[in-house]
Amino acid sequence: MPVLNAKALTVERSGQQVLKDVSFSMQQGQVHALLGGNGAGKSTTLLTFLGFLTPVSGSAHVQGRAVSENVSAARQAIAYLPEAATLYGHLNAYENLRYFLSLAKTDTDRRALDAALDRVALQAEAREMRMQTYSKGMRQKVAIAMAILRETPILLLDEPTAGLDPAAIDDFNRLVRDLAEAGRTVLLVTHDVYGACHVADRIHLLHKGELVGSFDRPSGMDRIDTEAVHAAFAAHAA
Amino acid sequence: MTGSFRELRFLAKDRAALLWLGIAVLVAGLSVFLGLREVAAQRTVLNELIEVDRAERDVLRGLHQDWGDVAYYTFHLTHDSPSDFAFAALGQRDTSPWKHHIRALALEGQIYETDAENPDFALIGRFDFAFAASMLAPLLLILLLHDLRSRERAAGRYELLGATAASRGSPWFVRAVLRVGALTLCLLVPLWAAGLLVGTGAAKLALASLVVALHIGFWWGFCAFVDRFGWSSPVNLTALIGAWLALAVVVPAAIESSVETAVPVPEGGEVMLTQREAVNDAWDLPKSATMEPFVERHPEWADYTQVGQSFEWKWYYAFQQVGDQIVEPLSRAYREGRIRRDRLAGTLAWLAPPALSTRALQAIAGTSMADSLAYEQRVRDFHAALRGYYYPRLFRDEVVSDASLGQRPEFPVVGK
Amino acid sequence: MSRILTIAHAEWRLWLRSRLAFGALLITALLLTSTSVVTALRMSEAHHARIHQQAVAEATFLSQPDRHPHRMVHYGHYVFRVPPPLSVIDPGVDSVTGQSMFLEGHRQNTAMFADARASAELGGFEDLTTALAYQLFLPLLLIAIGHGLIIREREETTLVPLLAQGVTGTELYAGKGIALVGLSLALLLPLAVMCAVAVGRGAAPLASAGVIGLYALYLLVWCSLILLVSSVARSRSLALGILALVWLGTALIIPRIGVESASSLIPVPGKIETDLNMQAELRAVGDGHNASAPEFRQLQADLLAQYDVTRVEDLPVNFRGVVARAAEADLTEVMNRHAEERMALEAGQARFAASFGWLSPVLAVAAGSRALSGTDLATHHRFLREAEVVRFDFVQGLNRVHVEQLAYGDDINRNIDAEASKRTRMSAENWNVLDEFTFRPAAATERLARASTPAAMLFAWLLMLAAIGALAARRVQP
Repeated sequence: MPVLNAKALTVERSGQQVLKDVSFSMQQGQVHALLGGNGAGKSTTLLTFLGFLTPVSGSAHVQGRAVSENVSAARQAIAYLPEAATLYGHLNAYENLRYFLSLAKTDTDRRALDAALDRVALQAEAREMRMQTYSKGMRQKVAIAMAILRETPILLLDEPTAGLDPAAIDDFNRLVRDLAEAGRTVLLVTHDVYGACHVADRIHLLHKGELVGSFDRPSGMDRIDTEAVHAAFAAHAA
Repeated sequence: MTGSFRELRFLAKDRAALLWLGIAVLVAGLSVFLGLREVAAQRTVLNELIEVDRAERDVLRGLHQDWGDVAYYTFHLTHDSPSDFAFAALGQRDTSPWKHHIRALALEGQIYETDAENPDFALIGRFDFAFAASMLAPLLLILLLHDLRSRERAAGRYELLGATAASRGSPWFVRAVLRVGALTLCLLVPLWAAGLLVGTGAAKLALASLVVALHIGFWWGFCAFVDRFGWSSPVNLTALIGAWLALAVVVPAAIESSVETAVPVPEGGEVMLTQREAVNDAWDLPKSATMEPFVERHPEWADYTQVGQSFEWKWYYAFQQVGDQIVEPLSRAYREGRIRRDRLAGTLAWLAPPALSTRALQAIAGTSMADSLAYEQRVRDFHAALRGYYYPRLFRDEVVSDASLGQRPEFPVVGK
Repeated sequence: MSRILTIAHAEWRLWLRSRLAFGALLITALLLTSTSVVTALRMSEAHHARIHQQAVAEATFLSQPDRHPHRMVHYGHYVFRVPPPLSVIDPGVDSVTGQSMFLEGHRQNTAMFADARASAELGGFEDLTTALAYQLFLPLLLIAIGHGLIIREREETTLVPLLAQGVTGTELYAGKGIALVGLSLALLLPLAVMCAVAVGRGAAPLASAGVIGLYALYLLVWCSLILLVSSVARSRSLALGILALVWLGTALIIPRIGVESASSLIPVPGKIETDLNMQAELRAVGDGHNASAPEFRQLQADLLAQYDVTRVEDLPVNFRGVVARAAEADLTEVMNRHAEERMALEAGQARFAASFGWLSPVLAVAAGSRALSGTDLATHHRFLREAEVVRFDFVQGLNRVHVEQLAYGDDINRNIDAEASKRTRMSAENWNVLDEFTFRPAAATERLARASTPAAMLFAWLLMLAAIGALAARRVQP
């Protein structure tokens, strides 16, 4: 049974078709990347799995059940990292994590929080500071930590590496692979071809709401062929 | 110039701004309309009363053969007609009397009677132009100006606009000028229209317009000051509404209680009680106890103060007069206390522009506390004239005649 | 449930950490507390002063020397309207109506010396009371703090992560609602303290509880409104603008329009007008001082027939007293009729103006608060009626002394000499016809009944806003 399944998804936002007949599915432990330019429909796909958008035709399934049937079950199963994640500026990292996690009914102690923040390499001295003093990259790290801490089977990550420095991006890619190996399913949105090729098992190329291509990591290889993806991306962008 | 024109078009497309300006027109128009109606109603009441009062006196003519009876039964209507600008600021006409029905008995027993309107209404207050211009207009101005810069800042256009404009700050200035000017016009045009309708003096209208403009100018300055801190729109608005609350409500309330503490005024009831006692005790006192203090005040009647054992009207009126005389210090303290309170409040009102604006408009309209006290003084003068008329007739035991009645003073009508 | 509380708790934490919210809160708490203290001191001082004045007035009346009883009729008496215990919260009409009244024979006077006349004019809001602070200005604070409850999450893009945790729109709405309601309830604390103080001074616990309940209901209405606007508005500024407009309309404009329309649709003639119109009727009754006036011939004939005598001198009762008593009764009947007409008109006006409470919760809570505190128009009318009963009773009591104890012969010859005059003086013991007077507002149950319509208005508002809110909550979307 696929963990995530998009069946001929067609979604409209304010009268405009933003997703046309998109289908793909993911098995447990897989990492998929949605790749595409601005307005390709990447974030829309994530929001549809979360039930924030309802497809006009087709359906989104989470763990075998249609999202429209039980939105809260879908959201319970998914940890979501929104694009340009904003947490509360007046709270520090711990407070933010505790707040959101308690809303998700996930119990966490200080050690677990520190462990997650260690994994995203947030400086220990920053953790007690209010997040309004954080840089964009630091905020992103806390948001990633939150997604990990949810301990959900599925992670939907929207532009997770935006604002991170190259070293942090490498760390992040390793983290995602670790999560997948631990059995979690990760769908991430990016327009970073290089990063996507390194972290994903499969890349879906979206253009103007349509799925225009998929690229698999060949077995035995540690990454998808960057050249091919680049070429396809460039062809559509032109 | 083209810049102002562009900004005017910009204003015309700003739906929120148009909403606030529309409300300003509505509020000003309504307040002026209601004020006109109220003043018209007051005039109607006065005209009817003047008629009824005259008819009543005609009925009494010839009914009594004794000056004592005539003076006892004849009431005289005194009134304070609304000015041609009273519609804009009803002021004291709401709580203080503007009509009294008095007779030649002790005045202190009559002058504090209130012919008040429904107390529930006095509590809520009137919706007159002074209220609209002094209390509501600042709020509307705040709503118009609070996000002038912060909105652009939030939208990320602030630097862009600042950099594009020829000189820094100028687009904001033009925008603010247009809004402030539009608001002022929205308030004043209904006022001018009403003024033309009832023929208000141009000087009064001009002065009132100046007051309104200055008051709005103050709030504009205040909004500009708050704008300098570069806060977000909600913070700006909250701070400005807080300032409104302070200047329109909290400071006036503080002024009022400090004025009341600083200037004690004798209990009004005390004045009445003392006067009443004095008049009533006179019945049991030897008649000389009344006539002596009376003659001190009126030596011209010294030769006529022989009063026999039985009841005599001149003794009766003499002790009415003595009752007033006894309570005079208290009554003067009450009156002067109110004058001093009003003056002190007038000085302290400079700390609270909305209160100052209200007071200024009431002063122009002739509805201030000072006007109310002036009316009280006219009633006192008239009452003195009535006494001056009755005393010779009572003391010389004259015969009641139509000719003599024709000389009775009438309450002078004062134009405002 | 735990999620809802978590959200509410987070909101409170935000308020404590936001300098703006915290500052506004602090200032409001200060305003409420200081206003409560000032109002309470003022009203309790008035309470004691008037009880004292009433006692002095009664003692003065009773200590009058022996006199002709009719002299005491004109000597008259004062009654004072002692403010009820709950007036420490809502002094109501106390400051705009006179608090004392002079009672005498043949006349109904108006209440005298409204405080408002001796107070300074500073624009209309200077008479700040606890009730007014709660009715007008507390909603402003709730707006300032609460307008961003939901729209802020949307504008700062924290709404998506919130909902992504599985929080439903309804839970979010409820959590934010609890946060604001919790704040409102905390701000009711000064009011509750004042109510407790009032109960300690003899206020009915039922009415005091009613006051707290009424204001709680009122603040709930504002909370629901703020929450609703915050969830449907497209931006914070818009939410703030809409709420400011609603406040302006309901707190300052609609009540005044209610007043203006009531007074123009239901005109009440002034006291002077009423008096003038009453003159002819009063003349028809006749002058009770003049027993030989033609109006009393029938009375004389009936009395002579009743006692089977031919001259008034032979009557076993004092005919002058009989005339005074009969004239007083007839005059009072005329005056009461006019007074009742006037009060009915005033009450009608007030009812009409109060019906604008369906449009303005501020007006509704104000009416309910005055009714519960015993400081409303109906209570003032009650004072006028009770004072009239006191007046009529003591005047007729004195007239009875005049009728039964004073010989007619002595009475008509009272001005012949000092000795004759002395014979008409009745013993001062007779002055105890005056009853002790302590004004008390209506029973708590009656006041609660009077407050039920305003409470129903508030309840209708709350139901409507809650129903729309429940719909809006389900649609909370990023």
